[in-house]
Amino acid sequence: MNYGHPLQFGTFITPTSTTPAAPVALARLSEQLGLDLVTFQDHPYQPAFLDTWTLLTWVAGRTERVHLAANVLNVPLRQPAVLARSAASLDLLSGGRLDLALGAGASWDAIEAIGGRRLAPAESVDALGEAIDIIRGVLDAGEARPLRHAGDHYRVGPVQRGPVPRHLIPIWLGARKPRMLRLIGEKADGWLASIGSGFLDPSDFRSGNKIIDEAAASAGREAADIRRLVNVSGRFGPAPRGFLDGPSEQWVDQLLPLVVEDGAGTFNLMADDQRTIEQFAHEVVPALREAVDRELASPLPTAMPRSSTVRAKRREGIDYDGVPESLAASAAEPGDVDYARVRSNYLRGGSPGLVLRPRNTAEVVDAIAYARRHRHLPLGVRSGGHGISGRSTNDGGIVIDVGYLNSIEVIDEAARLVRVGPGARWKQVATALEPYGWALTSGDYGGVGVGGLATAGGIGFLGRRQGLTIDHLRAAEIVLADGSIVRADETENVDLFWAIRGAGANFGIVTWFEFQVEPVGEVGWAQLVFGAGDTAAVLQRFGRAAIEASRDTTAFLIMGPPRGGQPAVAQVMAMVASDDPAVVVDQLQPFAQIAPLLQQQVVIVPYAAVMAMAPDAEHLAEGEPVSRSAFLKQITPAFAAAVTKLLNSGQVYFFQLRTVGGAVADVAPDATAYAYRDAAFSVVAVGTSRRRLDEAWDGLRDQFDGLYLSFESDPRPDRLADAFPPKTLARLRELKLRYDPDNLFRDNFNVDPATETS
Amino acid sequence: MTDYGHDLLFGAFITPTAHPVRQAVDLALVADRSGLDLVTFQDHPYQPRFYDTWTLLSYVASQTSNVHVSGNVLNLPLRQPAVLARSAASLDLLSGGRFAFGIGAGGFWDAIEAMGGRRLSPGQGVKALDEAIQIIRQIWDTESPGGVRVDGTYYRVSGAKRGPAPAHDIPIWVGAYKPKMLELTGRAADGWLPSLAYLPGGFADITEANKRIDDAALRAGRDPALVRRLVNIGGQFAAASHGPFNGPPGQWAEELAELALDYGTTGLILAADDAYSIELFASEVGPAARQLVTDERRRRGTATPNEGE
Repeated sequence: MNYGHPLQFGTFITPTSTTPAAPVALARLSEQLGLDLVTFQDHPYQPAFLDTWTLLTWVAGRTERVHLAANVLNVPLRQPAVLARSAASLDLLSGGRLDLALGAGASWDAIEAIGGRRLAPAESVDALGEAIDIIRGVLDAGEARPLRHAGDHYRVGPVQRGPVPRHLIPIWLGARKPRMLRLIGEKADGWLASIGSGFLDPSDFRSGNKIIDEAAASAGREAADIRRLVNVSGRFGPAPRGFLDGPSEQWVDQLLPLVVEDGAGTFNLMADDQRTIEQFAHEVVPALREAVDRELASPLPTAMPRSSTVRAKRREGIDYDGVPESLAASAAEPGDVDYARVRSNYLRGGSPGLVLRPRNTAEVVDAIAYARRHRHLPLGVRSGGHGISGRSTNDGGIVIDVGYLNSIEVIDEAARLVRVGPGARWKQVATALEPYGWALTSGDYGGVGVGGLATAGGIGFLGRRQGLTIDHLRAAEIVLADGSIVRADETENVDLFWAIRGAGANFGIVTWFEFQVEPVGEVGWAQLVFGAGDTAAVLQRFGRAAIEASRDTTAFLIMGPPRGGQPAVAQVMAMVASDDPAVVVDQLQPFAQIAPLLQQQVVIVPYAAVMAMAPDAEHLAEGEPVSRSAFLKQITPAFAAAVTKLLNSGQVYFFQLRTVGGAVADVAPDATAYAYRDAAFSVVAVGTSRRRLDEAWDGLRDQFDGLYLSFESDPRPDRLADAFPPKTLARLRELKLRYDPDNLFRDNFNVDPATETS
Repeated sequence: MTDYGHDLLFGAFITPTAHPVRQAVDLALVADRSGLDLVTFQDHPYQPRFYDTWTLLSYVASQTSNVHVSGNVLNLPLRQPAVLARSAASLDLLSGGRFAFGIGAGGFWDAIEAMGGRRLSPGQGVKALDEAIQIIRQIWDTESPGGVRVDGTYYRVSGAKRGPAPAHDIPIWVGAYKPKMLELTGRAADGWLPSLAYLPGGFADITEANKRIDDAALRAGRDPALVRRLVNIGGQFAAASHGPFNGPPGQWAEELAELALDYGTTGLILAADDAYSIELFASEVGPAARQLVTDERRRRGTATPNEGE
């Protein structure tokens, strides 16, 4: 039978140590010829060979596309847990090109002679079974509990799992006897068989497959979970002589039944001469592909289908088989290795049922069409995954992650127009603009993604000079709920252009933003730490200094609770848009006097250097953030006193005041969906208990003037009226009815079209 | 006041972090391009945030062209000595002789045991390393007749074939702090590779350790100068001096020259995870320190003929 696996071709190259460049050259040749896989045998007791792991790694550094595997790795001489971490390492470094092929060991005299442990054949199979469990356990980094394995041959644990490999590394076993074949059926992802003189003959291959299939069925697995790989050797010649000994056409005829009738998915050519490999690649591979296509009813897939184990983790209500072809390869579902990387965001844990990762506008259209068929499930849209309010992850729903749409392109240098994908991070944008002497205000952290921030507002360190990030938006391309692709700017889809500048999450997915950016030289960047024992006074003095500062200076203040019996400290981060040290010092002077200065660091750096401080961390958050937001016109004594109480209570572990005003207030409140233009501060408090933080925050309502939706996690519906003043909200409802009447985009400050405009 | 007269080697000690995926490799490329002699990585196979160091070393070697690579230091208890020896020879062959063998006896025994390794006492660990070095040297030595035989307490190799021979004489550098390890270093190794941060007495500890190494070398009938002294140094570059290894490049050069001339330490390895520091170390600190050492050796009349070019 054929198992419906992709048909692939590889080489099996002797890892000779006498001419170390030779196997490397043949590996590179294999890649140049378009083959899929390069393999080397592994016999650590054989000094005529290079160490196979070292060679595989070396070759990984000298190739770009081809997959790599030992054929097969000698497990008795390699420590399974270390091997697993090594495998994850090589997979990451090579961009997901490592496949693991393991053997139980055979040359026991030689293994023992170099310090390995002699095992009886049956024991070695058991030991290999344990090694597979350990390797899978280490590689299963999505599992939080440490790995423990107490077996007859190996004892491991407790150890932390990881690192997470780039791709789901398959484990194939080299085998010829029934016990090993049964182990494959129980645990492995593939069988590496060698067919030819001195090895198995084609009928042995068939009977071996039968043993594997039966063992798989008894283990509750599917035969199609297991790939069949065949090492073949032979020679090309003008006259037909024997099995794989003759002209290319004869090779094709002899390999064809192994695919069609016995399900071989990969053929590795055992050869060390260039001409044989070339003839195989040029004449056998394409002809065999064609012949297989002719013989089989349906074409073979190009990627290995997900195994029954992976599929077992699927969530209900999702049409996994109906994922559009364009998105299938990059989609991540709960059983996938990539899932650990995409399930959570920066602050919020999640367990979505499917994460779609479009790479272009057309794929965003496909993703939205797919989401429309899943209206019964939550839909999250994610750019950088830093959103506090936005549900860019969920439980059992769908997430459209536009992280791959991360291009940054200067489209008109004279006009300083830059086109940026929603998946780019602000630190990347800053770095791309720096060589031009330009900068665009963003937020306070370079790891934040463009899409979420640029559809909400963008309150950053150049805000008082440049305004909000959205104030620099000149045009955007949006995919709407019905799948149409539209451009919005000052003349086209003007209403939509208004709406996406402050309430974008309700209207579609932006696939690019066009910003007009400003010339900005190096800037003064200050990090000041103050003793804030007199918290209320510090807040008020900071407030005055921040408001009175020139537009070139934008300052943010961060506080936490007093810790360890020590008085509280306040951290002020301020940017002065000037590269003149005298100006910078002068501008900072009023801030230096708000409280006793404990530490200070002031440097003149590019804006990009400030953004670059954010590390490239993966998002592995758990739980739900509890965050409240508000806009303030000033820091009143009552507000300062209330915040002091809140901080002293320990309920709030992060409190931040961001100064706005300046250029932000130059824009009319009705010019964009972001309406609170006259606020002087944006405030955020992050706490541990939703109930207690809500109590405190709700008590301060009369101090507040709206909120910034990006920092608000309160799910109560009346927050919507805080996020948008009545006139803005009314217009948003109207537009929502027009652009998303079925309310597909509803996870982030949803303007529900079904609600009557009052 | 010891100067063994070695030429100076400048290296980087880069965290083998697995995330971001390219960080460690990219920093190694910076080291290679900027002319450092050596790139090294710590080896903690029980630490999932790090790459497997052997794999990373091999990958870095394949992507660089001039720089030498070494573990700093490799964890012997989780690596099979004979396989490690062949792996080292393989990497040396593939890289055209750019591998150095930094090795340690292991220290975090709970973690080693959890990964499936054997728990040893510190004393046993030294003995095991001693045996491993014998195995490794015999495997690399393809000139001698017969198979490799080391009938040790911790490792037994009984007639394994020798080879492959590495491309160059791979130096074995030992991470050592305690007397027994220092003695093993003097007796059997080609280099001593500690971290300054783990020498509580600072430079004074180097003098004391050098003496142990030298005495052990002499007892074994070796010239102490066969053992190169290296050191990992953490610090900062700053416009003004804030203390030892915290100041401008000129200050660093003077401090390193002092290490070379008065403490015999000529393998100078900067612990850094940013391109700026690595480039500065290679382009400014290294050449300045070399010049100071050359001038002083000339003044002392201890310059070797190949120096100062």
